Amino acid sequence: MATQHSRAAARFMIAPSVIVLLLWMAVPLALTLYFSFLRYNLLMPGENPFVGWENYSYFLTDPAFQTAIVNTLILVLGVLFITVLGGIGLAVLLDQPMWGTGIVRIMVISPFFVMPTVSALVWKNMFMNPVNGLFAFLAGTFGMAPFDFLTQAPLASIVGIVSWQWLPFATLILLTAMQSLDSEQLEAAEMDGASAWSRFWYIKLPHLARAITVVVLIQTIFLLSIFAEILVTTNGGPGTASTNLTYLVYAESLLRFDVGTGSAGGVVAIILANIVAIFLMRMIGKNLDA
Amino acid sequence: MGNITLEKVQKKFGETEVIPPLDLAIEDGEFVVFVGPSGCGKSTLLRLIAGLEDVSSGEIRIDGKPATDLPPAKRGLAMVFQSYALYPHMSVRKNIAFPLKMAGLNAEEQNKRVERAAAVLNLTDYLDRRPGQLSGGQRQRVAIGRSIVREPAAFLFDEPLSNLDAALRVGMRLEITELHERLKTTMIYVTHDQVEAMTMADKIVVLRAGHVEQVGSPLELYRNPRNLFVAGFIGSPKMNLMTGEHAARHDCTTIGVRPEHMRIVEEGGTFTGRIIVSEHLGSDTFFHVEIPGMDEPMTVRADGEIGLRHGDTIHLEPEARQIHRFDEKGLRLA
Ligand SMILES: Nc1ncnc2c1ncn2[C@@H]1O[C@H](COP(=O)(O)OP(=O)(O)OP(=O)(O)O)[C@@H](O)[C@H]1O
Ligand SMILES: [Mg+2]
Repeated sequence: MATQHSRAAARFMIAPSVIVLLLWMAVPLALTLYFSFLRYNLLMPGENPFVGWENYSYFLTDPAFQTAIVNTLILVLGVLFITVLGGIGLAVLLDQPMWGTGIVRIMVISPFFVMPTVSALVWKNMFMNPVNGLFAFLAGTFGMAPFDFLTQAPLASIVGIVSWQWLPFATLILLTAMQSLDSEQLEAAEMDGASAWSRFWYIKLPHLARAITVVVLIQTIFLLSIFAEILVTTNGGPGTASTNLTYLVYAESLLRFDVGTGSAGGVVAIILANIVAIFLMRMIGKNLDA
Repeated sequence: MGNITLEKVQKKFGETEVIPPLDLAIEDGEFVVFVGPSGCGKSTLLRLIAGLEDVSSGEIRIDGKPATDLPPAKRGLAMVFQSYALYPHMSVRKNIAFPLKMAGLNAEEQNKRVERAAAVLNLTDYLDRRPGQLSGGQRQRVAIGRSIVREPAAFLFDEPLSNLDAALRVGMRLEITELHERLKTTMIYVTHDQVEAMTMADKIVVLRAGHVEQVGSPLELYRNPRNLFVAGFIGSPKMNLMTGEHAARHDCTTIGVRPEHMRIVEEGGTFTGRIIVSEHLGSDTFFHVEIPGMDEPMTVRADGEIGLRHGDTIHLEPEARQIHRFDEKGLRLA
């Protein structure tokens, strides 16, 4: 009796938060789905007739869509590649006993605390700016013409900025994993005649495998939806050279005021993200079981 | 070939001297056991020999050749760690083959040697498992397998049995002794268990706070402990030590009598006391006897079938030829 009573009370008590959470998730999703089947442009008020798959076919056949998919892939894979490799390298270095490791570690981690908009602005104006930027100044001192990063290599520049932001995260996770390696294993390998490189390749790297999968999973989830860095630096341009899927959805619905197509794009993005997530979960599941 | 010589080897961690200058000679083919209480520097000494720690001063020679500055891999020694230190992501086969792979042997030769080692250690059925899927004793055997494939000049064991349960420990003890009989390779074995030391060793090195207290065969140490520390450390249960008037009667500061050298007599006897604890092991019975005027109870070994019980009065007489005498510095008197 008492337990049934208290269970009912418990349900009653958590109901508000569950309801809020449901509304929070379900309502926007339902509305997005609903809008994606309407002709709904804010510049053309009046009727919003039901148009079936028109928005989807419009979004999917837009040449910008293919570019956006490719750009999203380049962005995600490029950043993953740089941060995982760089993270492993930094973790190996920071794992060495040396003077002042505490300070160095904090400095390595600090980029992670800078807001994406701020760091993108700093990179854009203080480093990559072709007139006032540090890189332009350095090029000038060597007598070279300054390189306009955000115009000439917009996507690569964004990959660089985002990598700079995520490198600390990868380093932190991998360093922690590295420090959990049993030192006797390394000593055993040393006695077995393994060189420093062999110890890294056969002992440390396999030990890091799980941590690497975790880094890949978490970063992919966040990297699929990069937005602030693009908005602040290139606005997706020149043309659509640095437009990813998130930015394309934003451009459709908020720059062209086409809510219908924007919603369809949002749904497409959700589906793609889920496909990626399923693949990643499989991969992680296999890796974490072993 | 595996004789190892330490000359004035000293080890400091910062300012603390863990091993004061120490000399030790280990002959080829010997089974040497380092024993001593926890923290006395056994592992440190072993790691110095292995090359995993640098000596602060002194000289290590392996096979007569200076090895002080050689890296661990070049010393031709193999070590079995207390935690086994198997590579968790490799199969048993790959674990055992790892030193061969590092030595650059071809796959065929690697396989041949792994199979041979596995046959010796009864691991053939487990070659394709991961270490995580093995029992403690099997992991221990894999660790040994990984060290024997290299055919090292000497094996170093650091408390290899301390993670195993009592029954398995006895089994592995026999296996290691048997392995030594077969391979005839030098083995250095660290333990704090004096039973392991007594049963396995050709030569025991008793350490205390980094000092070598005594070196000798198990029976030498049992019969002629050089000082009170060795006398108390070797033998189970511990030797009974007595001071005061009992010792004065033998012209020394301390006398020691092992529990197995106390005779129980009907009446009279040097000591008379009351049994406070009796431990029946079946084959033997150990009595702890409270004797008026002595701080610690005396331990006595008696026959398993003896009729005495808790609370009974008992008369004891030490066997005259088995009394050990020590001077005021704790050193043995002839
Ligand atoms: N890296 C180190 N830095 C400072 N002191 C150390 C270090 N390693 C060991 N010691 C000290 O050296 C002494 C001997 O340590 P060691 O590990 O050799 O003991 P042990 O005889 O193997 O003990 P146990 O039976 O508990 O394993 C200890 O007092 C320990 O605190
Ligand atoms: Mg130790």
